[in-house]
Amino acid sequence: MSEQAYNRTGGIGTISSRNWEHHDIQRGVPAVQVEHLRKAYGRLVAVNDVSFVMHCGEAFGFLGPNGAGKTSIVKILTGLVAPSGGTVQVLGYPVSHLETRRRIGYLPELPTFHRWLRAQEFLQFHGRLYGLRGAPMQKRCRELLELVGLAGCERQKLGTFSKGMLQRIGLAQALLNQPGLLILDEPTSGLDPLGQRDMRNLILRLKTEGISIFLNSHQLGDVELICDRVAIIHRGQLLKIGPPATLFDEPLVLEVRVNAVSPDLLRRVGAASLAVQRDEADPLRLLVEVQNDEQAANVAAAVHASGTRLFTLQPRRRTLEQLFLRTIESSEH
Amino acid sequence: MGWFLITRFTIQEAIRRRLFLTIAILTLLVLVLFGLLIHAAVSRMQENQVANGMDPTLPTLYAGIAISILAMWLVYLVISTMTIFLTISMISGEIEAGTFVVIVPKPLRRAEIIFGKWLGYAFILGLYTLFLSLAFMGIIYWFTGYWPTQAFAAIGMLEMSMLVLLGLITLCGAFVPTAANGAIAVMLFMGAFISSIVQFAIPAQDAMVQNITAVISLIMPTDAMWHGASYYLFPAALGVFQDFSVNSVNTPFTATQPIALPLLTWGILYSLVLPLIAMLRFQRRDL
Repeated sequence: MSEQAYNRTGGIGTISSRNWEHHDIQRGVPAVQVEHLRKAYGRLVAVNDVSFVMHCGEAFGFLGPNGAGKTSIVKILTGLVAPSGGTVQVLGYPVSHLETRRRIGYLPELPTFHRWLRAQEFLQFHGRLYGLRGAPMQKRCRELLELVGLAGCERQKLGTFSKGMLQRIGLAQALLNQPGLLILDEPTSGLDPLGQRDMRNLILRLKTEGISIFLNSHQLGDVELICDRVAIIHRGQLLKIGPPATLFDEPLVLEVRVNAVSPDLLRRVGAASLAVQRDEADPLRLLVEVQNDEQAANVAAAVHASGTRLFTLQPRRRTLEQLFLRTIESSEH
Repeated sequence: MGWFLITRFTIQEAIRRRLFLTIAILTLLVLVLFGLLIHAAVSRMQENQVANGMDPTLPTLYAGIAISILAMWLVYLVISTMTIFLTISMISGEIEAGTFVVIVPKPLRRAEIIFGKWLGYAFILGLYTLFLSLAFMGIIYWFTGYWPTQAFAAIGMLEMSMLVLLGLITLCGAFVPTAANGAIAVMLFMGAFISSIVQFAIPAQDAMVQNITAVISLIMPTDAMWHGASYYLFPAALGVFQDFSVNSVNTPFTATQPIALPLLTWGILYSLVLPLIAMLRFQRRDL
């Protein structure tokens, strides 16, 4: 799935005669509507009173640690698991409706496929399950193999595929029906950095074409980059929901490296930011807390105003763990 | 028509995983060896008969009857073993492997998946049962001249036996893991055969033994189906049959009576209702 592959396809819009616009957007029907959802496995409550709405055309991220209940919700959305309580509607109808399922594409986490199938046979089988037949199906399979960068692998058995190739063919089968809702469960899981980047780029392309994407992921970077809104789930309960930028109300930490640290510099930078402290590991580096990009620009201006040379100014990468723990802590107080 | 796609997929899987090829080669090998063996045995017997100044026709026919029973019992064992090994993972194995996760969310009913798989395996095993039975009977006919007058009734009973076992495995596959399913199928299959031996060894007047074996036949009717098949392998029209059957035919391998209609009805219901229960269970099962 290289950049060349993308260029060969000429974009997703060209791979199908059907426009990816959905009637549901016009109808104002949510892509997913979950109300008071509950799922218990015996005494274990995996999902407890979860409610949220995902709009059509939206990329919606689902974040949470292992055992949070994410996979249970994904499985309920795909009809693999029945809820113990509450209601779930996908594209305006219950998941059990066959017509609803005809419009859902699903890529499971680390998918397992029948190893004896060849790539093209695999897509044809799933295409037939979606009701595709004959020449249109053949064309669709070719387009999707091209799209996911597996053109030329039509006759290769899935048993010989790498993890990355399996993820790609899995995504291709999820796109066979030109889905109204694409559900992706950890799509970059098990991929190397290059594979992760390619998968991310492909999902972004699908998003720009207007497909509603439900993304279940551990990868904060992916979620931030792709999703319009994010929900955080922990111990079966929804903690927060909103756009990624506003979801985590912690200040941004900047690493500022200069040629010299003077009292005047510290005073000026302190006035332009929320807090500043010197990095004990590096005497020429400051750790500066800011609320937003505007304040970050003010910090840069303050450094220049003090007559100090600015070598680097970069945001310290937030990890999902840090953000998640912070969210949990704040929710418990 | 989702079930049809699954049936076709099941058959395609059996072919593509070289199952057909392996079984075909091994079956051919067994048939050739069987042919050579029966040729040698029958030739030697006929030579001895002629050497003693006797007509070998009737002894050859008797030999044909005896060989038919034993050969078809072998067919019954092979078919049962094949059914267990081939279908043991058809539901639970797919669940454990995770391959159902991309199929179940597709626009088809879950019951169609089970029905399609059941039908695919029933078709494969049914065809194999027919082929293997006809092949053995054909070889026996070629060398001894004996062909059971009710051969197709016997094959029908063997098919029923296979369907009974398939029904049980389908049911268990929707409820328990693959290993447990295999254990259940093997234990019940063996249990039914052992009960037949016990019934032979202990006087038939023993009511308790009769009751226990009847219950075992209801739980696992495969052995009852085999006994039904064995009855049809005897030459019903022969005058010698009456004497032959009464004195020596009521064994763990043979029967003097055709299968009772209620037991046959039970077997048919068993082979159909159990997969239906499996479909209902799978419809509600979390994956």
